[in-house]
Amino acid sequence: MTEPSDRDLMGRLAAGDRDALSPLMERHHRRLYRIALAYLRRPDDALDVVQETFVKAFVHAARWDGAAEVAPWLTRIAVNQAIDVYRRGRRRLAHEEPLDDAAPQGFAVHDPSPERRVMGREIGERVDSALRTLPERQRAVFVLRHYQDLSLEEIAQTLDMSLGTVKSALHRAVARLRERLQGVHS
Amino acid sequence: MILLHGRWRRRTALLALGALDEAEAGRARAHVGTCAACARDLEETRSALSLVSADPIHAAEPPIPLGALVTRVQARLDETPAAGRVSRPLLAGAGLLAAVVLAAVAGRALLRTPPPPAASPETASATAPPSDAGPIADSAAAMGRIESTLERERAARYLSDAQDVLVTVASSPQRCARRHNAVEVGPEAERSRELLARRRLFVETDAPSTVVARDVLDDVEEMLREVAALDACARPQDLEAIRGEIARRHLLMKIDLVTRELQG
Repeated sequence: MTEPSDRDLMGRLAAGDRDALSPLMERHHRRLYRIALAYLRRPDDALDVVQETFVKAFVHAARWDGAAEVAPWLTRIAVNQAIDVYRRGRRRLAHEEPLDDAAPQGFAVHDPSPERRVMGREIGERVDSALRTLPERQRAVFVLRHYQDLSLEEIAQTLDMSLGTVKSALHRAVARLRERLQGVHS
Repeated sequence: MILLHGRWRRRTALLALGALDEAEAGRARAHVGTCAACARDLEETRSALSLVSADPIHAAEPPIPLGALVTRVQARLDETPAAGRVSRPLLAGAGLLAAVVLAAVAGRALLRTPPPPAASPETASATAPPSDAGPIADSAAAMGRIESTLERERAARYLSDAQDVLVTVASSPQRCARRHNAVEVGPEAERSRELLARRRLFVETDAPSTVVARDVLDDVEEMLREVAALDACARPQDLEAIRGEIARRHLLMKIDLVTRELQG
């Protein structure tokens, strides 16, 4: 028996069938989690983003254009959700402590080797601190390119930007990251 | 020469990211072969990116099993009022009924003889739909509510995106590599133009549903026009003037408040 396509599942969500959530989540939750985690750097926040992405996907399933690909639509919801969470965190931290002082949390990875884990944590912290210096949209563009390998056209479509804006944002993000990561070796 | 190098720097960044198509990548590589500064740029960029590639997030796993996540989503949906959900059949039905209402109104106008006197508050009730139009009126009202919700969401998203641009402008900008003592605001200027075009197309300032945001939308439009008019390599004092104006109007805070109100 053939598996239902993403479009089939979206059609079922639009008709109010909650059972379609589980197979759709199985296909996309890991990818969306990594996008949210790369953007927010906090596992709990990233998990909330994934959760709210699928809540929104169900609630707004009727607005999904039946001809459109499902993955970019979900990615767009997740990125907007991550930006909202980031803004809320920034407002909260503005009253509590400087953003740069917010310690990154550890996260589960495939490779359990202790050396790799320690090295990975150190690199993660440096990358985390460098990514925090990027403005919201630049960070989103960079995450989609570098962590998800999306093409520039896909990023432009996902973030509702022109191709030129995506290129500029990527270039500026890379320039800033390079500055921040200079002298650090993996 | 500096201008030319700036353009190639952008290409080398995209080359390092593997984001150029084959032909562009070939041209960029050929240029790097003849430009020592660009080759150094490329090397440093690759080195920084290799560090980001080693970020363990690339292999991160969600901290809870899928089943638990599905349960969380289902629980959240149980809390979400069913009224908030708009199904496609309802939207289609509302559109159809709206067409029926419009046709009915147009038909009544054509058949009406003799022409009615000028409307006054007292005679207004005489032109109200007959009571048997109740379900149609209800459906039209439902469609009106849906449209209001969509207008509010569009306005909120627009304000949120505009805030993103203004926050970037208000934060410390990057030095412009193409002009001495200038700051790089090309992407923000371009994004401002896109947003202004989007506002013209999608954001209704006179709609009752977004009237609460009218003043802030006007302020935001004014600031976006200022940013859109900047050169890609802008003078720091021009940027400072915009920054000062954003601060004087407490615009970022107002956008936050209004966006939250629009989102209910």
